[in-house]
Amino acid sequence: MRVPFEWLCELTGIEASVDDVATRLTNAGFEVGAIHRAGEHWDRIVVGEVVRIDPHPNADRLNLPTVNTGSEEVQVVCGAWNFEAGDRIAFAPAGARLWDPYADEPVLKELKPTRIRGVVSRGMLCSTKELGISDDHEGILVLDPDAPLGRPLAEALGGEVLEFELKANRPDALSVLGIAREAAALYGTPVRSPIPDDRAGEHGPSQPVQLQIDDPSLCARYSAALVHDVKVGESPAWIRDRLEQAGVRPISTIVDATNYVMLELGQPLHAFDWDTVRGGFIGVRTPRPGERLVTLDGQDRELTPETLCIVDAEGPVALAGVMGGLDTEVTDTTATVLLESATFDPVSIRRTAHRLNLRSEASRRFEKGLPPELTVLALRRCVQLIEEIGAGRGEFLTADAYPEPSDPTPVSLEFDRIERLMGVAYDRGEVRQALSSLEFGLDEDGDELRVTPPFWRRDMTAPADVVEEVARLVGYERIPDTLPTGQVMDLAPGEIDERDDEARDIMAGLGFAECVTYALTSEARMARLVPPDLLDAPPDSPLGDADAWAEVRETAMNDAGRSLTDRLLPLDREPLRLRNPLSMDENVLRLTGLGTMLETLRANRRHADRDLLLFDYQPSFLARDGDLPEEPNFLTAVIGERVSADRWNETVTVELPFVRGVVDELLSRSGVPAEATSHDDLQHPTFASGASAAVAYRGRLLAAYGEVDAEVAEAFDLDERSWALLVDMPAVREASAGPPRFSAWSEYPSALRDLAIVVDGDVTQADVSDAIVRAGRPLLQSARLFDEYRGEQIPPGKRSLAYALSYAAPDRTLTDKQADRAHNRVVRALQHRLGAELRG
Amino acid sequence: MQERLDALLTSARAELAAAADDAALEQWRVTHLGRRSVLTGLLRSVGSLPREERREAGQAANAARRELEEALEARQTELRRGADGAQVDVTMPGYPVRLGSLHPLTRTLREIRRVLAPLGFRAVSGPEVEWDRYNFELLNIPADHPARDMWDTFHIDDKARPGELLLRTHTSPVQARVMEQIRPPVRVIVPGKVYRYEDRDASHEAEFMQVEGLAIDKHITMADLRGTLTYFVRAMFGPDRELRIRASYFPFTEPSAEAEMSCHACNGDGCPVCGGTGWIEILGSGMVHPKVLADVGYDPDVYQGFAFGMGVERIAMLKYGVTDIRSFYRNDLRFLRQLR
Repeated sequence: MRVPFEWLCELTGIEASVDDVATRLTNAGFEVGAIHRAGEHWDRIVVGEVVRIDPHPNADRLNLPTVNTGSEEVQVVCGAWNFEAGDRIAFAPAGARLWDPYADEPVLKELKPTRIRGVVSRGMLCSTKELGISDDHEGILVLDPDAPLGRPLAEALGGEVLEFELKANRPDALSVLGIAREAAALYGTPVRSPIPDDRAGEHGPSQPVQLQIDDPSLCARYSAALVHDVKVGESPAWIRDRLEQAGVRPISTIVDATNYVMLELGQPLHAFDWDTVRGGFIGVRTPRPGERLVTLDGQDRELTPETLCIVDAEGPVALAGVMGGLDTEVTDTTATVLLESATFDPVSIRRTAHRLNLRSEASRRFEKGLPPELTVLALRRCVQLIEEIGAGRGEFLTADAYPEPSDPTPVSLEFDRIERLMGVAYDRGEVRQALSSLEFGLDEDGDELRVTPPFWRRDMTAPADVVEEVARLVGYERIPDTLPTGQVMDLAPGEIDERDDEARDIMAGLGFAECVTYALTSEARMARLVPPDLLDAPPDSPLGDADAWAEVRETAMNDAGRSLTDRLLPLDREPLRLRNPLSMDENVLRLTGLGTMLETLRANRRHADRDLLLFDYQPSFLARDGDLPEEPNFLTAVIGERVSADRWNETVTVELPFVRGVVDELLSRSGVPAEATSHDDLQHPTFASGASAAVAYRGRLLAAYGEVDAEVAEAFDLDERSWALLVDMPAVREASAGPPRFSAWSEYPSALRDLAIVVDGDVTQADVSDAIVRAGRPLLQSARLFDEYRGEQIPPGKRSLAYALSYAAPDRTLTDKQADRAHNRVVRALQHRLGAELRG
Repeated sequence: MQERLDALLTSARAELAAAADDAALEQWRVTHLGRRSVLTGLLRSVGSLPREERREAGQAANAARRELEEALEARQTELRRGADGAQVDVTMPGYPVRLGSLHPLTRTLREIRRVLAPLGFRAVSGPEVEWDRYNFELLNIPADHPARDMWDTFHIDDKARPGELLLRTHTSPVQARVMEQIRPPVRVIVPGKVYRYEDRDASHEAEFMQVEGLAIDKHITMADLRGTLTYFVRAMFGPDRELRIRASYFPFTEPSAEAEMSCHACNGDGCPVCGGTGWIEILGSGMVHPKVLADVGYDPDVYQGFAFGMGVERIAMLKYGVTDIRSFYRNDLRFLRQLR
């Protein structure tokens, strides 16, 4: 909310500087977000008068006003038409600085003489936006006819405006008077209320106005005042200036007066042309079936049953608290006005304003909940103002419906409650002083304090509310620094697992850079994980965008043989969708982070040709019926084609065993030893077949890794072979054997034997190493593969594997003979079980 | 004796000159200075010489040994310099070390946890997709309350329960979840991702991280809150930081306070980092609202405590001098390596 500083001073008598007032109000909870100083940059701008307006010879949409600046006459080129010869305007000569009305961010620009369509313009007539007074750039600012010609504009129009960032709990502060009350309490000065006393001797309504509230829970109070002999015209400059400074556009006397009172007191008012209201009747109710209303914006609206309406004898005339009706609008010919001042249900107004997207200064105030006591005070002030500016003469109150009056409830608290909550003492005098400066009624009974808030402070409901008032009025500087003492708490539910930290550390140690990615993604991005040739309408084809995911799911269902459906890459599931996405590029919660990570890989590939090792450790979202979704932390890693080797410019090409090394290290450090897991071919369309594997522990899938399918890589615009690793970390936790266990080794020297064998192509390395381990017991300590060979030196279809074996006994040094015997058992086992041949 | 030594030295020098690498030098050392070398043999045999010759022979043999050792050392140095006599260039870069990195947000979160752990705060987490009840209602923000405008919310499209599922807008729902399950004393921090329906720019994100703090017991006061926050900003940003708090409003705290610290970049003198004010807004906080306590079954006449919440990106931006919040989610390796 924007509050002109001089207005605030008028209601408080404060003489402090604007900065001091802003600081003290901010510290007390009324945050001043900005101080606008209109006129700060107006060093060369003056009040000018338009002498005449000539047509532009070369452009119909431009004109050529000649301006008397008080010292000379200057011709300029202008695109606005909302002024006449004789008007006083704000004139900026070349060299003045103005706010650029077309820039996104506020920026000051120096005005230079320019030639526009062949005519030189030596200055400018300013709009309020160019002056920095408001955001209004429709037409130039026409000043009061009394504005002193040739004087600096700052003298005619300057002043500071405080912009408050107000909180939801203080509807009373959405008014100059509300802010003034706070400021007055802080400075210890009395408030100068602008509300006139009730007029003695005013008797009986001039005309009958019948009021009816159908449901007091939707409208607690409805008060009305008639104004006769209405003169609709331009308001005096002081009203227009204050409205402009507060960010409200002046319109005409009656509307300006209602807006002025809304700004001043916080109570929105509405003016009806009384002669258009049928039957001398105003009611507040929800609409009957089929009722419609043409609102001020010209829209013919069908009224939904929950829309609170103002009606006359025949039907709706306004949307309560949100927008008036066109038929009852105050116009130039209006003779009698009915001023409405009402207390509507905040929830009802909020819903209507949100639903119709018609949030206004008025609806914002109603939404926060206004006190019913305010309606009659606002009417008095408004009628007085209208009379003061000669726009009519009225009654302070013509009719009032207030079916269920309610008084603010007092709050009781013990004095020592304040110290108990704040951790510092406040003496009773201070407490009394603070609360009474805010116009709270006080009633003491021993140690107990009964506080009756003024009617505008309905936010006071509990002792803690009162404590806050005392603390902020005295100032938070009073509060000292102490540290909490007391017992340590029990283990908390949902405690963060240290092993999540460890998993990140392990991946960083293995060369991966951690990424933190968005949980929101698009269906198209996930659908790109399926090779386009499997889909009828791939996501990037013209048909593909809308239903990309439905297409994937259908394929997943029909193609169950290719295991599209594991939870690590659950292509058969429905993702959680947002009802209100920011864009279609992030309309669902991810089922997998792989799509996002492949995009991240691609983005980094633009500036790096090696060492692209990235991982992400954030949840995926798997919907569950009737419950919150499961949010498993899946680890997703991606790897580019080349990584650095051990000299400056050497790289190695990533192959499957490179990724396997990462998997084994991560799993074994997480408590699942590599030898406990099984690795099988992964049949998944996202991965290249024959270059990908699934890792299982006792039949449960822990991880999947391998080369990204070439078509998928292409869909992500990757120009090289790329690799991916997905790990179900919660499953790994469950498979974990816990901390590693110590086991003793032989203290005697080991006997080393190498072994190279040739086996058929369908014999796996796992078959061979299992056979070695089994046959080598109990002396075999380890068997390390050190070579794989296929090629000319061995028969086609076969391959050679070479291992380094180490034998030792727990209680003695093995003799060569004993080691040979053990080794020969291994060789024979391989020959018999796997048909292996020893290689020379 | 001396003749044999001279012959030995002559041939040893010639062989040494021919030795061109470390392996050859080692071979040479074994041959000429090792346990089985001729020279070692000669030295051993000194004892068997007639007494009057022993002294001279011993000195000669030891001198020869020293000479060979020095020659070896000189040859080693010579070889290290290379053929053209140039020294090894110690300014050559090291071979690439492939060590990864933790994301700056992870590092900042860990630092926050580490700083607060000694005060007894345990780190807990909660779901990112939440019920309206936890995200709002149990925090004293009923449906249609104007305070809901403080959080622009993403709603989940859920036909079965329209309007109930949402993306949490703050980590505060975990407060209620923890308190529902355990009795005081409670002392937790809650790090995690939160979501706001908000267009992104340099200082706004639709997805970002928060850390929530909550301490409930019989005697926890606003002074304890202030002390905790002062301790926190000094541990994070240096012992010279000053804290100031001012009145504010959150529906789930009463009294509420906004906390600012003196700018760590200019020490409070005013600079671009703090917008010239010398102070930086760092978090929101307050004493937990009695209604929030009552709604989870705590007696607000017995128990009280404080809560605070901060944006992790904001802390990281201040710490690392990052100026665009979106950088954290772009995951550009150049960014990640700089801040590793």
